[in-house]
Amino acid sequence: MSGTAVKLAIESSAVPKPKLRVLLVEDNSLDAELVIRALRKNSFDVEAVMIVQDEDSFIEALGTHSPEVVLADYNLPNWKGMEALTILRRQNLDIPMILVSGALGDVLAVECIRQGATDYVLKDGLARLPEVVRRALQEKYERSLRHQAEKDLAKKADELARSNADLEQFAYVASHDLQEPLRMVASYTQLLSERYRGKLDENADKFIGYASEGALRMQVLIQDLLAFSRVGRANATCTNVDCKSLMEEVRKSLASAIQESGAVITETNLPSVWTDRTQMSQVLQNLIGNAIKFRGKKLPIISIRAEKTGEHWLFSVTDNGIGISSEFAENIFVVFQRLHARTEYPGNGIGLAICKKIIERGGGKIWVESQAGSGSTFKFTIPFQSANGGKT
Amino acid sequence: MKSVRQLLIVDDNPADVTLAREALEVCASGCQISSVEDGVEALAFLDRREKYANAVRPDLVILDLNLPKRGGLAVLAAMKAGPDLRRIPVIIFSTSKLNQDVVRSYELGANCYVCKPGNLTEFFAAMKSIEQFWFGAATLPPRGE
Repeated sequence: MSGTAVKLAIESSAVPKPKLRVLLVEDNSLDAELVIRALRKNSFDVEAVMIVQDEDSFIEALGTHSPEVVLADYNLPNWKGMEALTILRRQNLDIPMILVSGALGDVLAVECIRQGATDYVLKDGLARLPEVVRRALQEKYERSLRHQAEKDLAKKADELARSNADLEQFAYVASHDLQEPLRMVASYTQLLSERYRGKLDENADKFIGYASEGALRMQVLIQDLLAFSRVGRANATCTNVDCKSLMEEVRKSLASAIQESGAVITETNLPSVWTDRTQMSQVLQNLIGNAIKFRGKKLPIISIRAEKTGEHWLFSVTDNGIGISSEFAENIFVVFQRLHARTEYPGNGIGLAICKKIIERGGGKIWVESQAGSGSTFKFTIPFQSANGGKT
Repeated sequence: MKSVRQLLIVDDNPADVTLAREALEVCASGCQISSVEDGVEALAFLDRREKYANAVRPDLVILDLNLPKRGGLAVLAAMKAGPDLRRIPVIIFSTSKLNQDVVRSYELGANCYVCKPGNLTEFFAAMKSIEQFWFGAATLPPRGE
């Protein structure tokens, strides 16, 4: 579209006069002359006018003339002015159409505007026309700005989604392809250590041991990274998930840790929520698993509860474990961040990163409230209304 | 008299072939192992063409999926389309855990899909159980000479 021309048209009440391309649907040449004069008298430099009286010539004029505004009489001998609007719509053209007509009566005039005419000007009130045209062009200009902004935004969102997808793909491919050579290192250092233990010197056994352990640890890291990238790749399939029955599964998969630690787990007010069952189970398993793992010397007492707040469910998992000092409260959700020596508490620091990714992809938030030495409460939210319109 | 069992390993990674040979060095069936490194070679071996004119027909094929020239699935499909070769059991032995690879393999007539373990002990255990099952428990079709 001729953005600058329109811009000039709307900005000027003074010189230079804006140039305007008009398409007139009018059978009366005297009326046409009056309309053009009204525009010219009032600050519009009407650059080109084409006057048509029927559908065929109207369609042709749209192509050859590229009008910025259509001024149409309501009644024509062989056509109806309002049909010009139908054609503009059909051709997907955003050109303001103003009825310039003899008295139509209020009811009909309102009906025309309801159907999409921009405005209605009486032939004996043509002094209003320039202002009406100016406003119509202004509105069109604003519409086009808004449209452009929406398009830009959609394009940005699209680019962002693509670059995210690329990154996910990269993490997946990198971690998958890294596994192959690493498998060789791990297998052969292991073979070396089994076959040549005690046959070289003591240092050799130690060195091979380090290499072998390192390779095995890296394998676990890569598997964790794959698991983390999979959260982004697999599409969440949301269903109505009964958290009480889900907790039974979680208890089963954590059975040995629960039994070993003697953990007491209580559930309060667990609802059904609209979420991906597998991922929700992963979140609960990680949080409860951590509550058991970081229990310190006490018998672990863990409570899981949920409450309705605003537009989401607020879940909390509270334990009486070793707690986290507030300075680390953010760090723990970052991939591979650990607060303890591996010998003290095993693990790679992937669990909470996966929880965060799952919860945030579902439109929720996750955080921790804790003090070192006095237990932790992990909280997360799940929106009632999911992104795809489902409800809890 | 029972003739010696013949195993063909199709894998482009010589380190994996060596591991497999190590695993089966001492095994009940005392099977003989041949190996080729890509899909084209594998089919030439099975069809006894060119330099493989005197190759022995394998009783079992262990087939990697990610192979140069012709991939494992293409080799599998070609084998299962051959009137004689289709009788030879094929074990897919791959690092891939992707559902699509597993499903496609079985659809094409693989007899078994085993993921290559990353850990030596498990790798040896997997090779040994393949050998024990297919050359021990299972009855294989007679060699159609």
